[in-house]
Amino acid sequence: MVEARQEGPPVSLAVLSQVLDAVRANSLWPLTFGLACCAIEMMAAGAARFDLDRFGAGVFRPSPRQSDVMIVAGTISRKMAATVVTLYDQMPAPKWVIAMGNCAIGGGPFTYPGQYAIVNGADKILPVDIYVPGCPPRPEALIQGMLELQDRLTQGGRTNLLRRFARYPGRAGSGGQP
Amino acid sequence: MHRQALTEDTFYLNLGPQHPSTHGVLRLLLRLDGERIVECQPILGYSHRGHEHMAQNRTYLQFMPNPCRMDYLSGLMYNHAYCLALERACGLEVPARAEHLRVICAELNRISSHLLWFGAYLMDLGAFTPFLYAFDDREDILAILGLATGSRLTYSYCRFGGVRDDVGQDFLEGVRAFIPKMRARLKDYDTLVTRNVIFVNRTRGVGVISADLARAYALTGPCLRASGVGFDIRKAEPYGLYPELAFDIPVRAGGDCLDRYLVRLMEIEQSLSIIEQAIERLPGGPVKARGVPQFIAPPAGIYHTSYETARGHLGIFLASDGGRVPQRLKFRVPSFSNLGILPVLLPDTLVADTIAILGSMDVVMPEIDR
Amino acid sequence: MTAQACERLSRRLGQRLGAAALVEADYPRQGYHLRLELNPGHLRELAAMMAQEGCYLEYITAVDRGGHLDLAYVFGRHQAPCRVLALAAVPKGQGVLSIAGVFPAADWQEREVFDMLGQRFIGHPNLKRILLPEDADFHPLLRDFQAGPELGGDEMEL
Ligand code: SF4
Repeated sequence: MVEARQEGPPVSLAVLSQVLDAVRANSLWPLTFGLACCAIEMMAAGAARFDLDRFGAGVFRPSPRQSDVMIVAGTISRKMAATVVTLYDQMPAPKWVIAMGNCAIGGGPFTYPGQYAIVNGADKILPVDIYVPGCPPRPEALIQGMLELQDRLTQGGRTNLLRRFARYPGRAGSGGQP
Repeated sequence: MHRQALTEDTFYLNLGPQHPSTHGVLRLLLRLDGERIVECQPILGYSHRGHEHMAQNRTYLQFMPNPCRMDYLSGLMYNHAYCLALERACGLEVPARAEHLRVICAELNRISSHLLWFGAYLMDLGAFTPFLYAFDDREDILAILGLATGSRLTYSYCRFGGVRDDVGQDFLEGVRAFIPKMRARLKDYDTLVTRNVIFVNRTRGVGVISADLARAYALTGPCLRASGVGFDIRKAEPYGLYPELAFDIPVRAGGDCLDRYLVRLMEIEQSLSIIEQAIERLPGGPVKARGVPQFIAPPAGIYHTSYETARGHLGIFLASDGGRVPQRLKFRVPSFSNLGILPVLLPDTLVADTIAILGSMDVVMPEIDR
Repeated sequence: MTAQACERLSRRLGQRLGAAALVEADYPRQGYHLRLELNPGHLRELAAMMAQEGCYLEYITAVDRGGHLDLAYVFGRHQAPCRVLALAAVPKGQGVLSIAGVFPAADWQEREVFDMLGQRFIGHPNLKRILLPEDADFHPLLRDFQAGPELGGDEMEL
């Protein structure tokens, strides 16, 4: 019996975790947390035209304790960095980070020799899962980032049983596999 | 912060830097006596990105993308103001068509900024629907501006001596169609919000700023005009096309949150009429001045430029030594001065009103922190 | 334009501070009507005068000119616009009197100048950093400021 456990979790658990992953992927709750310009596009993504809610990710929670995804939308200044890390630590696992915009990816337009005020990218202080480039990225780009994250959770869109659309039109059933 | 006179009911509350209603990363350290605020200390700088330091280390053209990232809601206006500052200092002429396009785009930008404020403010007060309405209308503006400028938020549309590109017919038609639509929407906003009893109760008589207080703290923009001072750079020191256009400066005398709200809504109407006039008389011709040098270098001296953004008086202070790189480029940003009044405004109000008052000031943190 | 809008103010300033220091600026180009160079010791007197004249403080800033800082005070007026730029050359390290008692708006403006350029304001109620973290030990807008590797943005100590 001991050996059997070492081979991995029992089959029933694998199915359960797949179901859980699908559920998680389709109800990602982002943290309401804007740092700079990109936050406005994040708001736009959640508002009327783009409606992030269609993908289950529109429930912006003001408290880190209730959220799954941190969207780092904007420049992380050195003064803010410690707070960002605290916020991340306060989120319950499993949790993911999306670096939205060039600033969160690598300092964006503010990286230059002599810069003293910012942290060059969220990945210097946080484990980033998805990078969404742009200055600012359009809301569609953020939505795509969210879908990428969902696909990552469900190991590709094919196993995302709850998703009601094909991510790549024209290839119905291909799910997240390009 | 003084820690004297601590009683059982005294405690400290940290609002922010991550708080949904601080619109970015403002931190307020409040000392409370029960629900009443005794003292408020704003702590800034959580979004300091060193814009002014960057300015001292690059040429004027290289700095072009920065101003619109300070106050990203008034991006086009910042961009316009920056170009204006250098055009004045270098004595560059701007063709008439470009002046018209600048004003049209800047006023569209002003409307989109006020709309975003409208949605976000009401969401702060607990009403979610207006947020969706406002963003819907805002997307219309962004689509129109996108046609001319190619971006949605951080526009570098103005160039020294003109604008980047001429606009097409689709832009003009888009603007013409937008004006009546927005006018109809303003009526909806009125019925939806302005006479809503919950909204009125939460804002009327809350956060009253007297005219003298507003002057002493150098408030500008809608915050000043809601306190009964009819001061607007577009009238007082007109730039660009504004001297030739007919428009009013909405003023209210109450100085409370409701008046600040009303002033902004009335400004949207005025902006619509400005756009209407400008598009009526839009002349043909080039949109860029000829012979603008690639590296512009204002003659040595100190220059100042005033501009009215959606939040108030933007001042650009430029100290040049005649070189291609500014010696000092300082932005007098409206939100910085507007926010400075909080430490005297908040004491003796309730915690619940903090959000109503702060929201009504319409601050943008990266603009304050620069 | 300058002559009408600012005549009275210009006359009063000239009487009190000596006409030699007061120059009429080229408003369309420079954006201010009057330019005034004064001894830093007279700043508070100037502020009191400007307050009397109904002007408001638009902003304070400073330019690093190598050996000294040029402090720039910009005053505006709501009625009949008349902008006054007052310049005071202050050797680095020397304090000047704060005008926060006259113009409450100066409180944060002076803190910003202190934060960015290290200028001390004597009598300021709360002169501490405003934008940079309180433990920062540099003033970034000084010409001789170099961001060291610890600020390079790559390593971040938390
Ligand atoms: S990436 Fe661009 S738009 Fe986004 S926060 Fe940075 S500067 Fe602003």
